[in-house]
Amino acid sequence: MGQQILNAIFIGSIYALFAVGYTLVFGILDILNLAHSAVFMLGAAVTFTLVVNHGQSFWLACAIAIVVAALMGLVIEYVCLRPLRRRRAPPIAALISTIGLALIIVAAVEQGRPGTLFSWLWVDGANSVSLPPGVVPNPTWHVAGLTLEGSKLAIFPITVALMLLLGYVMRFTQVGRGLRAVAENPRAARLMGIDVDRMISLTLIISSALGGLAGILFGVALGDISPYIGRDSVEVRGLAVIVLGGMGSIPGAVLGGYLLGLIEVLAVVLLGSNVRAGVAFAALFLMLVLRPQGLFGAQLKERI
Amino acid sequence: MRRVRLVSLLVAAAIAGACGSAGGGGTSANSYAGKTIKLGAILSITQAGGVYGPQSRDGMQLAVDQINKAGGVSGAQISLTVKDDASDKAQSAQLAQTMIQSDQDLALLGPTLSNSAVAVHPLAESLKTPILAVSTTGIHIVPDCNFPQTTACRYVFRDSLGEETAIPDNIMSYTTDAHPTTGVLLVAQDDKFSSDGGKIVQATVSKYGINLLKTIPFNKAEADLSPYVTQAVQLKPDVIFITSLGGIPAKIMTEARKQNWQGQFLGGNGFNTGTVSKQAGAAGQGARSASAWYIGNSFPSNADFVSAYKAAYSKDPDQFAAQGYTAIKVIADAAKRANLTFSDLPGDRDKLRAAMETVNIQTPLGPFQFTSTHDVKQTVWVIRMDGQGGFTLVHEIKAS
Repeated sequence: MGQQILNAIFIGSIYALFAVGYTLVFGILDILNLAHSAVFMLGAAVTFTLVVNHGQSFWLACAIAIVVAALMGLVIEYVCLRPLRRRRAPPIAALISTIGLALIIVAAVEQGRPGTLFSWLWVDGANSVSLPPGVVPNPTWHVAGLTLEGSKLAIFPITVALMLLLGYVMRFTQVGRGLRAVAENPRAARLMGIDVDRMISLTLIISSALGGLAGILFGVALGDISPYIGRDSVEVRGLAVIVLGGMGSIPGAVLGGYLLGLIEVLAVVLLGSNVRAGVAFAALFLMLVLRPQGLFGAQLKERI
Repeated sequence: MRRVRLVSLLVAAAIAGACGSAGGGGTSANSYAGKTIKLGAILSITQAGGVYGPQSRDGMQLAVDQINKAGGVSGAQISLTVKDDASDKAQSAQLAQTMIQSDQDLALLGPTLSNSAVAVHPLAESLKTPILAVSTTGIHIVPDCNFPQTTACRYVFRDSLGEETAIPDNIMSYTTDAHPTTGVLLVAQDDKFSSDGGKIVQATVSKYGINLLKTIPFNKAEADLSPYVTQAVQLKPDVIFITSLGGIPAKIMTEARKQNWQGQFLGGNGFNTGTVSKQAGAAGQGARSASAWYIGNSFPSNADFVSAYKAAYSKDPDQFAAQGYTAIKVIADAAKRANLTFSDLPGDRDKLRAAMETVNIQTPLGPFQFTSTHDVKQTVWVIRMDGQGGFTLVHEIKAS
């Protein structure tokens, strides 16, 4: 059981990091950015490519991958969101445009093979790859029947530290106040002299950087980097997490992430593995029925 | 419909007559000169089956290039069109329909996944177009492609070794060597190939005295397989059976070794590509499976293939490349003997089908023939991962 709790904490951290990016954008813009899963995948894919195909050090590769992910946030804003906002398109239009961008990014990566247009980005096509052993220091200990892996253990403090930092920025800094003002009422924020477009760009940058980092941690710790990790592993679960935690709430997303991780693992242990997804989404359904605003959320204005 | 049947009967009678008079058929050296034999391959280049499809495509293209360069099939050039079904059953069936009806291909190859084959093969059968499966190893592929109907499909062939042969052979071979007594099965439940493999393991283990402690099903798209692996490892089995596709076997092996499990992994066709062996790395060392092909075989039809493939693609071929290559050679051999008219497509498809039944050639898989149920009849090679992305040969089990 101890090992399974560790499994839950680890995967919960990934869900939490990923979902915070989702919820930040939802909190500020009231839209779901479904390109977030593609940014998650790019974080892992860029790190892998820089290390394996371009011979860079792991830490440099991570830094570049996070910058690339952050820039993808700007691409999402300028390509998918801002043009629609200018035309006052409904949130569903933005939802669709971000799905479109996600499909394009995944398709570009999966076409990447030696000699193709995207071979600088990815050469393994649809394959799942992992970083060569030794690239990331990963000491493993066996204590009291438990397997403790460095790379997985590190994810928990990284997640907590980042969430505390984000919480501090949102609550106590000028930027955070600006972001919250935009979330509350963009028009009023604009009248108060806040550059709303700049705040939205900043939100996308922070959100995507966190998504990219989550992808790197996922790829490193699970040894699974493929064009599909975002879509298959975290996209729908990320939505479940922010509903559990409360749409737009950062502490809710963190708690929701760990809760979903725990529910999934307990479902495997107590009820058998073939009901895992069913149990997780039954919990989500119950939450929607009993407490639609989630653990920490305000009353939902729109249901998606 | 009745007219179609009548035409088929006449064609069949004509073929029988031709075979009777010409002693098995055959054409003069350049009787197809200036013609084109159009073939269509439906492969999974992307998504889950993308681990296998590209190698099948490369193997096929190599065979096409070799044949065309050497003067073609009795003078006819082979034109191969490969389309990606994105590992999606519906897309696979749409492609098959287009290739058969719009593109007017003589015969089809594929699809990569058994999951898609259940949609594509019945379609080819109903449209009377020969289709040769190159990597599908699930159950009910041949001859009962319309399962649960048991009528034998006449146009569906397979050159890939079925899991019903491979998995029991592998378990038998490992039991003889290591006498395991307990096992746990990890099976991807949401995929035909994988769940078929799981059923075969369940049906086989007791014959060899292995107590299957638990079957742990999971879904292919799970974020993290650790909870399943932890469950399996904590039962301390002698062997873990894995029936799954793509990168999943490698992920399971890596996680189980991290959790300090020392037993042996046994698997199916999902193990048989260098991609999986490479991804598993040291964690996969010793993992055993029965394969349709082994790279180290030195008989000429394999050695020539391996060296030509390496020269063309600057990498080692794998089983899927060998089966793709073999498929083109099989169809070319049948086409050569089929007395094709190039003016009557339904008639030519039927002639090709009949000629495929009597193929008997040397291939990278070894001496190749079809059984009476259109399945492959070949030697089974039990191999194990070498921990460095390759495989070594453990046993050779000749076709009975």
